[in-house]
Amino acid sequence: MLVRPSEQIIPIKRDLRSRLIAWGAGCLGVSLLTTVLGDPKTGIDFIQHYCAECHRPPKPKAKLDLTAYRSLDRIITDALEWDQHLARVREADMPPDDEDVTQPSDEERADFIVWLETSLREAACNDGMTPGPPMIRRLNRSEYSASVRHLLDIHFDAGEALPSDGAGGEGFDNAAETLFISPIHAEKYLEAAQTAVEYGFGDTRSNQRFLIAQPDDKTSPQEAAATILDQFLPRAFRRPVTDDERAEYNQLFETIYQAESSFAVALKLTLSAVLVSPKFLFIVETPNEQSEPVPITDHELATRLAYFLWGSSPDDELLALAAKDHLHEPDILEEQVKRMLGKRHSRKVHNFAQVFVEQWLGTRALGREFRPDKSIKGYDSELEGGMKYEPVFFFHEILTKNRPLLDIIDADYTYANRRLARHYRIKGEFREQPKRVDIDDQPHRGGLLNMAAILAISSHPQRTSPVLRGKWILETLIGEPPPPPPPNVPELEEDSTSTVSLSLRERLEIHRENPTCATCHDRIDPLGFSLENYDVLGRWREEDDGHPIDASATLPDGTEFEGPEELKQLLLERKDQIVRHLTKKMLGYALARGLTYEDYCSVENIVEDLREQGYESHALLMGIINSVPFRYKAGTDPRAGVQ
Amino acid sequence: MSLQRFTLSRRRLLQGAGAALALPWLEAMSKGQANAASSKGPTRLGVLFMPNGVREDSWTPEGEGQSFELSKTLTPLESFREQILVPTNLWNQASNIGDGHYVKTSGFLTCQTISKSLGFDINSNGISMDQIAATRTAGQTPLPSLELAINPVSIGVDTNVGYTRVYGSHIAWSRPTRPLAREINPKLVFERLFRAAYPQSSNSQHDSLLLDRVLGDARQLKKQVGYEDGSRIDDYLESVRSLEKRVEQASKPEGRSWQPAVDMDPLTKPEGVPGEHEEHVRLMLDMIALAFQTDTTRVCTFMFGNAVSNTNFSFLDGVSGGHHSLSHHERKEENLAQYQLIAQWHVEQYAYLLNKLRSMPEGESNVLENSMILFGSGLRDGNKHSPRNLPLVLAGSAGGRIQTGRHVTYDRNTPLSNLYRSMLAAFGTPVSAFADSDGELPGILS
Repeated sequence: MLVRPSEQIIPIKRDLRSRLIAWGAGCLGVSLLTTVLGDPKTGIDFIQHYCAECHRPPKPKAKLDLTAYRSLDRIITDALEWDQHLARVREADMPPDDEDVTQPSDEERADFIVWLETSLREAACNDGMTPGPPMIRRLNRSEYSASVRHLLDIHFDAGEALPSDGAGGEGFDNAAETLFISPIHAEKYLEAAQTAVEYGFGDTRSNQRFLIAQPDDKTSPQEAAATILDQFLPRAFRRPVTDDERAEYNQLFETIYQAESSFAVALKLTLSAVLVSPKFLFIVETPNEQSEPVPITDHELATRLAYFLWGSSPDDELLALAAKDHLHEPDILEEQVKRMLGKRHSRKVHNFAQVFVEQWLGTRALGREFRPDKSIKGYDSELEGGMKYEPVFFFHEILTKNRPLLDIIDADYTYANRRLARHYRIKGEFREQPKRVDIDDQPHRGGLLNMAAILAISSHPQRTSPVLRGKWILETLIGEPPPPPPPNVPELEEDSTSTVSLSLRERLEIHRENPTCATCHDRIDPLGFSLENYDVLGRWREEDDGHPIDASATLPDGTEFEGPEELKQLLLERKDQIVRHLTKKMLGYALARGLTYEDYCSVENIVEDLREQGYESHALLMGIINSVPFRYKAGTDPRAGVQ
Repeated sequence: MSLQRFTLSRRRLLQGAGAALALPWLEAMSKGQANAASSKGPTRLGVLFMPNGVREDSWTPEGEGQSFELSKTLTPLESFREQILVPTNLWNQASNIGDGHYVKTSGFLTCQTISKSLGFDINSNGISMDQIAATRTAGQTPLPSLELAINPVSIGVDTNVGYTRVYGSHIAWSRPTRPLAREINPKLVFERLFRAAYPQSSNSQHDSLLLDRVLGDARQLKKQVGYEDGSRIDDYLESVRSLEKRVEQASKPEGRSWQPAVDMDPLTKPEGVPGEHEEHVRLMLDMIALAFQTDTTRVCTFMFGNAVSNTNFSFLDGVSGGHHSLSHHERKEENLAQYQLIAQWHVEQYAYLLNKLRSMPEGESNVLENSMILFGSGLRDGNKHSPRNLPLVLAGSAGGRIQTGRHVTYDRNTPLSNLYRSMLAAFGTPVSAFADSDGELPGILS
């Protein structure tokens, strides 16, 4: 039963500040925010006392003189820099852990962080919203594959042999900042393009897609090639091509045709060149020479939309609307978004759901970073598939059926294949392909936290870990990652092979007697304890290794709760925080970059809309698509906002 | 038998190549009376990186100089006593900061401190020593260097410590802002080596035309977006240009500075990524041996795992659990024993590669003798995450330039970068300064 300390019964009105500190705010033990709410002087004092101790003339450390920052206004003038400084303080990088450096107390540090975050965010909103610079990034591996598939209508993975991409920003592998180019790339793209084009030529179905002309009595090879290129180039470059560009590719065809006298050879090579061109491989938005932000062009909008909702190139309909400059019109845009989410494009939206969900939730680790120990029985590839796809199909439904985002916390449906259904002891007819299943009558399922994939990746290979599960909830669902353990503190002694027969829980409790550990683990562990009824692979259990499962827990504020259902109740009370975190993640994914403070104002607006619209998923998608950072690109003044 | 006789296209050739699980390259087709005997083989540089450190008390050999006794973890190297050098007390000062793993992985070969970043301002602040060697010998072999690994780039960003996991997935940096992509599929490595070693000159003219067009487009884009924003476009331009150069050289194969003793046998192409970790590792090591033997490249780095790798080693008798978890042994014997077994398994794989290289004759010597193969980790003990007294072994004498067969204990906290300077000197690419190095390691070079 959910029991609260009496003073907690009165709901706290959550303004911007209290939202920030609601649950996490690190684990630093935030003091009452008397200093924060009242007097900016305290924040300034912090800077002057702790930072300017070293960052002062005549030889400021890192050539950074902070002595001038004696008012909030002065700080706001350099908000971007302070965003960076703040990160250093938040990570406890600064002030450095050095004997000669005066250290703030944990409370002072936490108060300072909240004060500066709040001040910067409010200032960001006051300025009008500031978009990022024009997008320049290469397609990542999966976008490459999807784009080639779109162009040639081929049914194999052209990007399979490309190196894997790392992630940056909000944690996605489409982030511009981490899409590096190595010497190996040109070679791989050349090979991939030639293989793909060869395949496309050999397949009658895919011929129809791009081989729209053939030389004959009335058509010269050059004319046929020109017809094909007229269609192919704008599709590949996702914009109209100039006469010069058209001429350049026709010239390439001509040169090879002169040497080889073969239409097929010359055309294959020309089309391959298009696929190796950076104009195809990179999304490059035109620069904005003005100082103020300007809207992105309709073609740029088509491209952003397509890679956001499909992970692939814009189709002909989007490009046609862009060519007429109609795409940005609100009614048309909303209609197009609905079309893009529609049944005809289900496969591409599924692709979006998969890359987003797997990276947001971390379930891509299944079968990679996470493989259960051989002592864990019952794991096989069909189960792994079922586990992996459950959250993907589930989220796909939320997106396409305009379901409330709160379904992620609790829902009366899920998706299971034959093997996963057996795993969950759900009765019925199932196949290898996951299908939707109503689970009102299933006591222990519903929502992400009861899904096997999530319970597994937040376990150790050989046993469950309340710590990792608690950390997963704080980090992935709520968006407030606990800081790493301080140096020289051993990892929690939660190994299962201890000679003393204590339950895992008892051992964790002993560990939390250490006050250094307790500040964070008092917040982390209880969340994980409530999920102890799920084993490593997410099966329900009543006991573990002879110990009956105890899924009761107490939060630092005294709230007592037990088991997954009460955990969900608690999480639902934090729904704005959870939805805000999801919004950040999805905005970062849509923008294909890490967010800055400038973007958080947009995030707040979207969350506000979501609250008004019952958290329906389309409000999130449309909120992102209509946001300033999605629709505008910055000019030469990076601080100029859109009013 | 010579490859010139094959008339099939190279792709057909590669597709047709059948199963080959860790076939001994000894059986690779011999070129017969090649020029190998006439001159000494070229020097190769290889680095095998192991994540998560070692059990401290089972690593360091007993005894100094030539009379040393291998530690438990190093026992797989028994038959290589005369070919190895074990340096003790080297440290990587620049990675003694930041966090437990990322700094110590990306900084392993640069000896610089990475910038804390989720990606936007990613910076290793240095060039890795293998890339210094590769850049300065570029053009002498079809590929300047080869970057291999077992795991794909780790997923996501580590918000706990504020680093993108890109950092934990790379040791080779050709520029401070450019980690090099690694290949993890042995089949693709084989195909790449094959393409590089035996380019089809009939294709090269077409490829050149195609690449010219691509370069033209890259230049247009670069002009459009301006200098600063174009850096990734620049990287691509550079990538295309170097491929074009290689394509051009394909039409004159006599341009190779060294004619290797053997050809690659397309029948030995691996099938793909095997499910078993050990088999996967061995196939990748086979690719290193093949690349070195055929002189397709002279520089190669390999990552047994990414930083914080929790590869499940329960396939080893006596081990149950993940690598990283066990590396946090809490000084408990039961964990330490498993942790030691995992490190020893890595040393066994190292010995497997050394054995392979030693069995490849080259002139009057063998490929191992002409190589320097470094094995090591970016931290010593997984519980402490300290980059002091790093576990390192160097094998091969770089054609007699390095005095092997010894355990050398240096002064406490001797820079790791000093070893790298000695290695670069032995490779024939000496540098006058490198990171925090204050000189070459004394007594290494003969």
